[in-house]
Amino acid sequence: MTEASGFPMTRPWRRLIHRDVLSGLLFIALAGLGLWLSRDYPVGTALRMGTGYVPRLLCWILLGLGAVIALRGFMAPGAERSTLPIGLAAVRPVILVFVALVVFGVSLERLGLVISILLLVGIGALAGRNLRPAETVLAAVVLVALAWGVFIAGLGLTIPVWPEW
Amino acid sequence: MEFLSNLALGFSVALTPANLVFAFVGAMIGTLIGVLPGIGPIATIAMLLPLTFHLEPTAGLIMLAGIFYGAQYGGSTTAILINLPGETSSVVTTLDGHQMARNGRAGAALAAAALASFLAGCVSTALIATLAPPLARVGQSFGAPEYFSLMVLGLIAAVVLAHGSVLKAIAMIVLGLLLGLIGTDGNTGGQRFTFGLNELADGIDVATLAIGLFGISEIMANLTQRESSREPVVQKITRLWPTGEEFRRGWPAALRGTALGAVLGVLPGGGATLSAFAAYALEKRVSDRPGMFGRGAIEGVAAPEAANNAGAQSSFIPMLTLGLPGNPVMALMIGALMIHGIQPGPQIMTERPQMFWGMVASMWIGNLMLVIINLPLIGMWVQLLKVPYRFLYLAVLLFCAIGVYTVSNSPAAVVMAAIFGVAGFVFQRLSCEPAPLILGFVLGPLMEENLRRALRVSGGDPMIFVNRPISLGLLIVALVLLLIVALPAIRSGREQAFQE
Repeated sequence: MTEASGFPMTRPWRRLIHRDVLSGLLFIALAGLGLWLSRDYPVGTALRMGTGYVPRLLCWILLGLGAVIALRGFMAPGAERSTLPIGLAAVRPVILVFVALVVFGVSLERLGLVISILLLVGIGALAGRNLRPAETVLAAVVLVALAWGVFIAGLGLTIPVWPEW
Repeated sequence: MEFLSNLALGFSVALTPANLVFAFVGAMIGTLIGVLPGIGPIATIAMLLPLTFHLEPTAGLIMLAGIFYGAQYGGSTTAILINLPGETSSVVTTLDGHQMARNGRAGAALAAAALASFLAGCVSTALIATLAPPLARVGQSFGAPEYFSLMVLGLIAAVVLAHGSVLKAIAMIVLGLLLGLIGTDGNTGGQRFTFGLNELADGIDVATLAIGLFGISEIMANLTQRESSREPVVQKITRLWPTGEEFRRGWPAALRGTALGAVLGVLPGGGATLSAFAAYALEKRVSDRPGMFGRGAIEGVAAPEAANNAGAQSSFIPMLTLGLPGNPVMALMIGALMIHGIQPGPQIMTERPQMFWGMVASMWIGNLMLVIINLPLIGMWVQLLKVPYRFLYLAVLLFCAIGVYTVSNSPAAVVMAAIFGVAGFVFQRLSCEPAPLILGFVLGPLMEENLRRALRVSGGDPMIFVNRPISLGLLIVALVLLLIVALPAIRSGREQAFQE
């Protein structure tokens, strides 16, 4: 991650984007979410543990660990020269791979295997660096044939192949 | 004689035609994904896990195990021929293996890797057969408090041996434990962290989590980087057989690698990758020509390749005998057992001897198959490497998607895997290792159950973990391990060890 990927920041603030500070904050946030979600779970006693006993205990431990990790990252030597651990280059592939999967999952049962694969390959191909349309079509055809051969003909999975009207 | 009759039972199971086919299929798939960079055994096993539901449990386990050790063989091919590790466990093989290929000794390097792996496979199969029964007997004498402490020790040891920050790894374990609790609480029937969604009532499936964290996030990470050119060393592989001199130097190295790998594999957090790194470092230290390392020393191929295979196989020991997973692949194996309703633990060996010994025997058979798959068919695997990543990732993405769907035949699982993919990518960027999370995830429900039972026995008094001698001993070892890593002097030594 170079300077180009981060936005301009003055040095002291850069400590906040040290990877340990960010991981610590992430752990704290997740622990906080867990504590909030489990606020109404019955805790019980050590002898008769309720639904919430172990989850809440673990959330508090995670909260503590997150705080220590963030603090140590903030104090780490060289932290003032931190750069953002996730750059702009990652945004496109991460979002498109995510979208491709979600679209596949939602469409599989309604539109069938063939159309879902075409959608997955189409969106997935956009996530790559240099898209070559002819190659992508070829890949889609090969993958449809392969998936049909392995999963439908070979393993006999009960996935609809074509849209169900 | 118990040893021989056990092995005889094992071979009678493993040599049935169906099980031979599954061992072969596993070894082939393992080699395939081992050769291809960008897809590892964890994601592959996770993808195939739901399919093993339709198989007989022994056959399913034989196939999944074949994928794991098959990948250790395949990874070396890529490392030697194109200087790219096919698997993380073959990273060190690139150093000398690729140099050998450049010196025109590609054939010898491939042969050394395959033969060393085979030697390691034979030794560690025998090791499992001798070590497993006594360990299982120890495990059977454990009560709930001992089990809880054993799991604590297992998780802590996994963290200490893994690389990176120990604190972050412990946080990842805790996060994994929490994810493992999602769903319906078996004891009280209450829903935990389900957001009121029916899809979460049964909890998250380990295959969904593993495919997201290891398969999908890997695709995202690879697409973020520039595609590296992968040009195989084109010159013809003329001689496969090593020279006499290479043999003389290679076989003691392979033996040392096997020994080291077998020991490190049994420890939690050990396994293939750590073993390979450690074996390379050891060879460099004991060699009479350390200057040759990095310039095509055959010891630098034979030792790590023996070690990663030995480590991969001996990591089955704690999983099979104590139900304790030392690495993510073993966590998935426990998932595979649970799919079939088999509770992992020491009782497996006495209750299902055919399954246990059949799997052990199949490992030896699988290793023999792998030598055959790898050496004469090397040309075929090299052809495979010419498939560019821009095709490959689409295929991996599709297989991940279908694999996740078949976990529970629900679109929700695919969406969850996508979310875990993004999470895995973020964790990777923040240098948070995902392996401890998976271990915590699998052990979470078991730990809670044992904690509950132990505290019920003691009437709610947590001192029970300290008052029982075995439990206390296990906890002390865990504490000592933590203290050791916390000491600054040893910490720097540990970092050095991982840099080598």
